[in-house]
Amino acid sequence: MPTNEYTPFEQMAVFLARELKDGDVLRVGVAMPVAEAAVRLAHLTHGPNMELIFLGARMNVAHLETIPMPAFGWDRRVVRWAESYSDTGHRFDRIKDWDRHVFFIGGVQVDPYGNTNLIGVGSDYQHLRFRGPGSVGTPTLSTHVGRYYIVLNSHTSRIFVEKCDFISAFGWGTGGADARRKLGIPGGGPRYCVTPMCVFDFAEDTKRMRLRSVHRGTSAQDVQANTGFALAVPTPVPVTDPPTVEELRALRTRVDRSGFLRRNA
Amino acid sequence: MGDRTQRIIDEVTAANWVQDGMTIAVGSPAPMALLRQIIRRGVKNLTIVDSGVTLDLLIAAGCARKVVSYYAGGGFGVPVAPAFRRAVERGEIEVWECEEGILTTGLQAAAQALPFLPWRGGVGTSLPEVNKDLKVMQDPIRGETLIAVPPIKPDVTLLHAATADAYGNVQHCGGPGWLDLFLYRAADRTIVQVEKIIPNEEIRADPWATTIGGADAIVRAPYGAHPFYSRGYYVQDNAHLRQYLEASAAAAQENRSEPLSQYLNHYCREPATLGDYLERIGIKRLLELYEY
Repeated sequence: MPTNEYTPFEQMAVFLARELKDGDVLRVGVAMPVAEAAVRLAHLTHGPNMELIFLGARMNVAHLETIPMPAFGWDRRVVRWAESYSDTGHRFDRIKDWDRHVFFIGGVQVDPYGNTNLIGVGSDYQHLRFRGPGSVGTPTLSTHVGRYYIVLNSHTSRIFVEKCDFISAFGWGTGGADARRKLGIPGGGPRYCVTPMCVFDFAEDTKRMRLRSVHRGTSAQDVQANTGFALAVPTPVPVTDPPTVEELRALRTRVDRSGFLRRNA
Repeated sequence: MGDRTQRIIDEVTAANWVQDGMTIAVGSPAPMALLRQIIRRGVKNLTIVDSGVTLDLLIAAGCARKVVSYYAGGGFGVPVAPAFRRAVERGEIEVWECEEGILTTGLQAAAQALPFLPWRGGVGTSLPEVNKDLKVMQDPIRGETLIAVPPIKPDVTLLHAATADAYGNVQHCGGPGWLDLFLYRAADRTIVQVEKIIPNEEIRADPWATTIGGADAIVRAPYGAHPFYSRGYYVQDNAHLRQYLEASAAAAQENRSEPLSQYLNHYCREPATLGDYLERIGIKRLLELYEY
């Protein structure tokens, strides 16, 4: 694929990589290919002091020429990168220091206040229409990390709903800048929500989701049509900074060598 | 004075410790030799502390009544384990909804014989609403809102590790597994199947490497984690796992149960022992996986 063309997944990965700062501790869970690519790209391009934690495997491999994906968790290709491993208990230790940790979260539903649902869909918990995979570690991680990003593999009005049927990770509750503080939830909360169509942020006062930028080729109308709640839309609508030639080259030759983000978008 | 009691038993005897209605916990690497025996015997109504594909397999085989699960994804692009999803949606099994921090907190409470331990992750979420055993509380020291997590206490914990001696001293290769030590500490009894039995002298040569000092039973189980990995011995058999997941998905999503019953019969119900199972996998395939 030429470097003036790129897929929405590649746009997302590059956007997120730019968000990550050297020294961040980046925690990536399962089934998050865009986040996996983003942390690798950031680590290779501007994060020699980042720590990458894939499940329990903690690594710094900034010296490598490539950090190819997919490779995950206990996969032997990740094992060879890890400097240390932890079991679940140790993984959730030293929480007092998690303000410099960054985390990525998905959801089967996401509401305007960045609350996410991995439990399931349906009005009655005993009779779910769709049973999700479960909360994994997202309730604890979203409670404590300094900031996190909601990263979705698709953008539909079934995912973006006015109210989640169940909340597995608390974002901004029912809204308001003090929503987390009132419950004694220390972490910084969701910063952006990144989808194949756009980037959302949260208004400073209400913490309601609003359109921050659309990816090239997408309009604000497209986004609203695929979002199940009313969005605040800026005028003019900013376009997400597209990937540079250098970023795309690094992504494709040093991270996503198998072309996963190019095929599956 | 008599001799010190040895704790080595075979996988059939060990798996007989698991009876209908018990609570079991499953470690990682997966103790597959034991799990297949449980399926083979048709044990029912278990409460199962587990996640991922092994949980799906036990549900697909009809062993589960309730699951304590923080994550039931399938891997390989399968976002929700198929048998888990179908059984929950149909109300055939109950879920004790939790997450990783709450799970480890409950296991720790059981290990320390406490009525509960507090945890913060989950405050503000639906977890305490959908799991009535989780109680939102005000802490008596600073008045903060926390979740009181009751003990999670397995009757039997089932683990796979690298080596052990005859007296229940276990040494994992490259450190203990995922949740293994939490599951061991919380349980009434723990069975550890191992790649290799080693002499007590070898354990005593490096006691700091002993991860579990008191396993109640040790089962000789080379290749016993197949189709999963065993650190230091072999890697995961992804083709086999995909075959299982496809069979499970066909049963759950297309109501086509033949591939799943074939899988369960061929790999879990017909082989009487681990040896019989490994013969079905074949030495050539096993040797292909023999790397670390």
